[in-house]
Amino acid sequence: MKNSTWTYARKISQSFCLAVFLWLFLQTEYRGIDQLPYPVSLLFRIDPLAALADFLAPGPFGWQVLWPALLILLGTVLFGRFFCGWICPLGSTLDGLGKVIGRGRRAFSPGWRRVKYYLLIGMATATLFGVQLLGLFDPLAIFLRSLTLAVYPAYNYGLNRVFDFFYEHDVPLLSASAKNSYPFFRDNLMAFHQPIFSLGLFTLVIFLTILLLEKVEHRFWCKNLCPLGGLLGLCSRYAILQRTPQKLCADCKACDSLCRSGAVRSSGHMRSECLLCMDCTGFCPEERVRFGLRTGSDNYVSVDLQRRGVLTAMASGVMLAPVVRIGPVTHEQNPYLIRPPGAVAESEFLQRCVRCAECMKVCIGRTLQPALLQAGPVGLWTPLVVPRIGYCEYNCTLCGQVCPTGAIAPLKLPEKKKNVIGLAVIKKDRCLPFAKGVECLVCEEHCPTGEKAIVMEEKEVLINGEMRRLKFPKIIDKLCIGCGICETKCPVEGASAVRIINEGESRRKRSELLAGPYG
Amino acid sequence: MTRIDRRTFIRQSIRTALATSAVGCLPALDLLALPALAADSPPLAVRKGKNVKQLVQETIGALGGIEQFVKSGEVVVVKPNIGWDRTVELAANTHPEVVTTLVELCLDAGAKQVRIFDRTCNDERRCYTQSGIRSAVEGLKSDRVSLEYMDRRAYKELAIKGGKAFDRWEFYMPVIEADRLINVPIAKHHSISKLTLGMKNLMGVIGGNRGRLHHQIAESLADIASVIHPDLTVIDATRILVANGPQGGRTEDVRNTETLIASPDMVAADAYATTLFGFKPEDVSTVVAAAQRGLGVMDLKKVRMV
Repeated sequence: MKNSTWTYARKISQSFCLAVFLWLFLQTEYRGIDQLPYPVSLLFRIDPLAALADFLAPGPFGWQVLWPALLILLGTVLFGRFFCGWICPLGSTLDGLGKVIGRGRRAFSPGWRRVKYYLLIGMATATLFGVQLLGLFDPLAIFLRSLTLAVYPAYNYGLNRVFDFFYEHDVPLLSASAKNSYPFFRDNLMAFHQPIFSLGLFTLVIFLTILLLEKVEHRFWCKNLCPLGGLLGLCSRYAILQRTPQKLCADCKACDSLCRSGAVRSSGHMRSECLLCMDCTGFCPEERVRFGLRTGSDNYVSVDLQRRGVLTAMASGVMLAPVVRIGPVTHEQNPYLIRPPGAVAESEFLQRCVRCAECMKVCIGRTLQPALLQAGPVGLWTPLVVPRIGYCEYNCTLCGQVCPTGAIAPLKLPEKKKNVIGLAVIKKDRCLPFAKGVECLVCEEHCPTGEKAIVMEEKEVLINGEMRRLKFPKIIDKLCIGCGICETKCPVEGASAVRIINEGESRRKRSELLAGPYG
Repeated sequence: MTRIDRRTFIRQSIRTALATSAVGCLPALDLLALPALAADSPPLAVRKGKNVKQLVQETIGALGGIEQFVKSGEVVVVKPNIGWDRTVELAANTHPEVVTTLVELCLDAGAKQVRIFDRTCNDERRCYTQSGIRSAVEGLKSDRVSLEYMDRRAYKELAIKGGKAFDRWEFYMPVIEADRLINVPIAKHHSISKLTLGMKNLMGVIGGNRGRLHHQIAESLADIASVIHPDLTVIDATRILVANGPQGGRTEDVRNTETLIASPDMVAADAYATTLFGFKPEDVSTVVAAAQRGLGVMDLKKVRMV
């Protein structure tokens, strides 16, 4: 297949954008500066679906963060789905890996194309009624989530094992060069701490499924399932960029089989389906294909969405909201449902979070973990604070800095230090001084609040028939912010003897902390 | 050249592997874990002063200069307390200038390499930066000095001969293998060991679940001290933390004592430091446990003040 200059330009753009996104991904890490120096969540600032979620959530639209997404929409209105062909990192990955995976050329029923529109319409309607699931199917969220939760941790694990091997075994030449290059890798190309995530495998399976759909049909995901593709397709209805010839040529019809999105029909050009990959400008045997500004008659062919299908999708979206709402209150069901500092109230949080996993990528303490069902059925992949894995670093505000949709508000450090995300509770049946009669103060030692929220109280206790003085930890509720370092560092093996529950969190309208004589 | 068949090759390979692993099993490393014998009347230098750099120079000078401890061409580990994500004025970490002045002295004495590290409690990147130690060390602009993140692979489990709380623990091998170790704690309040001083600072060069040490803090720290023997202990009491230690976080809990304590005997240095908080050496169980094991002198009358 012959490539035209346009095709080369498109490929360069894809490679460049992918490289930029991967570089920003690597920069989504603390490197000694409290304020991240780069707009690391750029991928979601240009994401129209993230903008849609933010727009439909309560409160004003986040212009300051999300204006680039509107530029993308404007560009699409003018030129069509250039984003899909030239920028989208998932699309580029599919194009790049398609050859490796092997490509199917099965002709699928054109009805499949409607799925992405129905998905978009259904989810947008549900969002309007307060249940936001856009992030589950947002290709950019899928891309970054898979990278954060599965691919990057696995890559780090593999590299670490290689370096470890050459560290432990003295292989001539190789060991020395591994030793010399390790600091460079650690500081630039690897995570400082091995990332650990609970949903790694699950996320990877979904990512691989999308990749494997290439075996069915080139860009199966983009053509049939991607709701962002659907949104951009709807916007490109009146685009001024026009392909000539608009229809399949009677004498050739090569486009019918060669066009990756099957956008050229004998009745006209399906602009909403064309990914502007520009391949046809190269493969046309007669070199007839041109893209230019629209002139003359417009033989636009739209995907027939069918009124019945659209209504069904909308009805499903409308139905979803009350069905989700009749579920029990999640924070009462799960006292360990703890959100990052700055997170807005739970119902708004679920409306805003697009499950992009940026916060989990940037979290220093590795405390942010993707939820499976802990936050209810619609909380999949939303960030949870899981203090037994890691804790929320007292002087860190990174998660709020990267969140693109305001689900986690960007807090200034003094505010962050006062933001209560939970409350530590001592389990007296596990805690060593209470349960075993031995000294321990690890929780008190690590408690980061200036006036400690955990204090040691000396009491006389009867141990084996003998009165002894022993120090016991006590939580001062009004000082505890729930950072969870006590739970992380508790030396008891297995379940921690001090656990964070979500009582008294700042984001709830009324604090339910009961003040008593114990503090 | 003799050709060997496959069978011989496999047999010889297995033999070699067995022989090698047998040699590797020899408890050669256990020999390191012998307790040091305390000198009879160790020298102890205590100086006061506002200028930190001068203070360090004077105190070390009183002990006869750094040359007493560091020889030309040696690898020196300087182990400050960088445990917490706290700024200098909060007195949770060793003062950066105490660290850099000591490093400069070592360099002047001809040290081949000076390595600085600590196993921190908060994220090490944050602690190294926030403590001011990173920028101070970078300011030295010497390629013989390195502020390093501890390498998770470099811990090894060693036997502790005569250990009372533990008979084995993981130690950071670069410390064991270095020619010299200079222990540079900051004097702070601590709820269980009362104070955290030189002995507690050595917790920053061991691996494992360190929380377990607190169940029997005195004997555990004495066990650790029986394996790791600093050549010099310099206690930073330029400012001390008198409450909410060891992490602090409030300037109200900080006292500017403008003091530096130095001795080749870690126990003697710790014993003297207790007096800054209004204690006697025998009030602090870690000091008592170490003295009883003969790891150092806690009786300040038996110490030679210089």
